[in-house]
Amino acid sequence: MRNDFYLAWRYLGFHKTRTLIIVTCLSLIAILPVALHFLLNEGNRQMTTRAAATPLLIGARGSALDLTLNALFFGAVSPSITLVEADKVTATGWADALPIYSRLRVLGQPLVGVTLDYFDYRGLRVAQGQMLAMLGECVLGAAAAEALKLKPGDSLPTPPESLFDLAGNYPLKLRVAGVLARTHTPDDQAIFIDLQTAWVIDGIGHGHAEQKNLPERSAGPFGFAEINRAADGKLPTYTEITADNIDSFHFHGDPGGFPISAVIALPHDRKSATLLRGRYVDQGEKIQIVQPQENLRGLLDNIFRVGALFDGLLAVVGGVTSLALGLVFALSLRLRQGEIRTNTLLGCGRLMVARLLAAELVLLLLVSGGLCLVLLEAIRRYAGDIVRYALIS
Amino acid sequence: MKLVRGLLSAAWLALISGFSCEALADLEDGKLKVFVSNYPLAYFAERIGGHRVAVSLPVPAGEDPAFWRPDPEAISRMQKADLIALNGADYEKWLNRVSLPRLKQVDTSAGFKAAYIRIENAVTHSHGPGGEHSHDGIAFTTWLDLAQAGKQAEALALGVIRKRPELKAVFLENLSGLQADLKVLDDELLKLGEAKKNQPLLGSHPVYQYLARRYGLNLKSVHWEPNEMPPAAEWVALDETLIRHPARTMIWEAQPSPEIAARLKEKGVSSAVLDPCAQRPEQGDFLSVMQANIANLESTP
Ligand SMILES: [Zn+2]
Repeated sequence: MRNDFYLAWRYLGFHKTRTLIIVTCLSLIAILPVALHFLLNEGNRQMTTRAAATPLLIGARGSALDLTLNALFFGAVSPSITLVEADKVTATGWADALPIYSRLRVLGQPLVGVTLDYFDYRGLRVAQGQMLAMLGECVLGAAAAEALKLKPGDSLPTPPESLFDLAGNYPLKLRVAGVLARTHTPDDQAIFIDLQTAWVIDGIGHGHAEQKNLPERSAGPFGFAEINRAADGKLPTYTEITADNIDSFHFHGDPGGFPISAVIALPHDRKSATLLRGRYVDQGEKIQIVQPQENLRGLLDNIFRVGALFDGLLAVVGGVTSLALGLVFALSLRLRQGEIRTNTLLGCGRLMVARLLAAELVLLLLVSGGLCLVLLEAIRRYAGDIVRYALIS
Repeated sequence: MKLVRGLLSAAWLALISGFSCEALADLEDGKLKVFVSNYPLAYFAERIGGHRVAVSLPVPAGEDPAFWRPDPEAISRMQKADLIALNGADYEKWLNRVSLPRLKQVDTSAGFKAAYIRIENAVTHSHGPGGEHSHDGIAFTTWLDLAQAGKQAEALALGVIRKRPELKAVFLENLSGLQADLKVLDDELLKLGEAKKNQPLLGSHPVYQYLARRYGLNLKSVHWEPNEMPPAAEWVALDETLIRHPARTMIWEAQPSPEIAARLKEKGVSSAVLDPCAQRPEQGDFLSVMQANIANLESTP
């Protein structure tokens, strides 16, 4: 028996290319549907848990799905509303309001403006460094810190080209205050800043040097950026918030009118949720309230329908491939007539020849199976990250 | 995990040493942690919450809370509070430069936003998307109108109740006691205002806007400090003011230095202390300081 396998092994080893092609075909056919379902299920799990943890969302009227994807996964950018919507929710006494402002990307990672309540709500803890404390600071999700290779104390410039340059925006150098513990949620990918810092990036808040004691203008990218507005008023504006200049930072206008992209509403109980939703029924024009879970259900149903279609296709492809492999095997038998005859001449019975061939087949299946297992384990391990990456980008 | 272990060992300690329930509650630190931004709010919180709250005023003694800036350490402590009671009306100039949980904040004066007094003659400059604008300020000594102080106490009480709804009855009872005390002061001041109607008064610092409005005081303010001799130009300006506004009293946040008081006396202006009590007094409490203020004002010529 061992000799059979030894001989089969040597044979397969001798015809490396052929073996490799067969193993790859077999593995792929077996693994594709399973991997697809892994990813679909993981996507389903992530989206549902996130949506279930986010009872109600308030945002600009328009695509409810965009709103949900923006607020939950920092994905699709939805049109902005103003902070007053959060205050309105709080004022009802039915729910707590968590404003969220996700509009920009920094080196591919979403830049998300939140209030500190967001961290409590999502259970985000600082693993290294400190929580946000001062204007101009950011904390990084674990994956974002890894991708950007940043640690507490480093700085991270917001690239000017990614900003709407309507109001004379300029790059702001963010200081990394801390890195969050990994949560295996989209929060891992995010760069979190305080809403107020987000508004500074938007040019709504800024600090400027007193005109009488202008510091020397530095030539570097983070000296002063000049805001070209009215010809009479050109005050150089700070592009980095430091302990020395923080007191000069101020905001223009009423915070109620400052932009946010959505409000996560956390109703105190079921009745409050119903009452709150009722408020937005007649609001007609600009604001909508959505239930992320309902919203995503439609999306997920569609994804699973596509998944089922894929399964059907893969079954057909699998069948065809099996047939082709059978044919290859049959043909190879014919090619190997000479070799088989030699075996017979050496004294092997018909049974012995069949056993050798069977051993080859078993080895091929075993190697493909092993490869499948290794690949599946890898996919299982990285499914979360793959899905998160796909969801966010 | 650390917390659980801490609680367990605290419980064990209480058990073996036969501590009362009260002491156990203290060990568990079951008190509601309330941060406040000035002393009047601290006093209100202490009155409303009693032993059920631990009130912290993070401003060091001797420093005016209106000009205090929190350092990162103070911010981190405030972030861990259960409630952050703010005076509002632009009192906390540092608020939009720090990160604090919004859901824990109570702006105690937001309820009477429409009654804020705007400070005129603010500096105008031009930059940013808004074009020309002025950074007009808001007068922030809101509590010197004691009716407003009562409203601030109420807003604070509602904030405390939101965090400990099970103690609502206790807090509301404490609130009504406090509001009754504030009402007494308010009534006395209204009476005093009636008596001093149209009598010109000087303020040493522009912090008495709400006081003057509520109690009908005919007040004009300079911008002096009790322990800094004003420059000559200020004295000239004062003489001019006195021609149109013949005041015989200047009210001060604290006792002015003897030299300033004497120089004022030469001009027929006596000095009286009307302490806004923004910082915790060395003796007494908010009520006794306000009573002293009323007495000081009553005894002015
Ligand atoms: Zn400005």
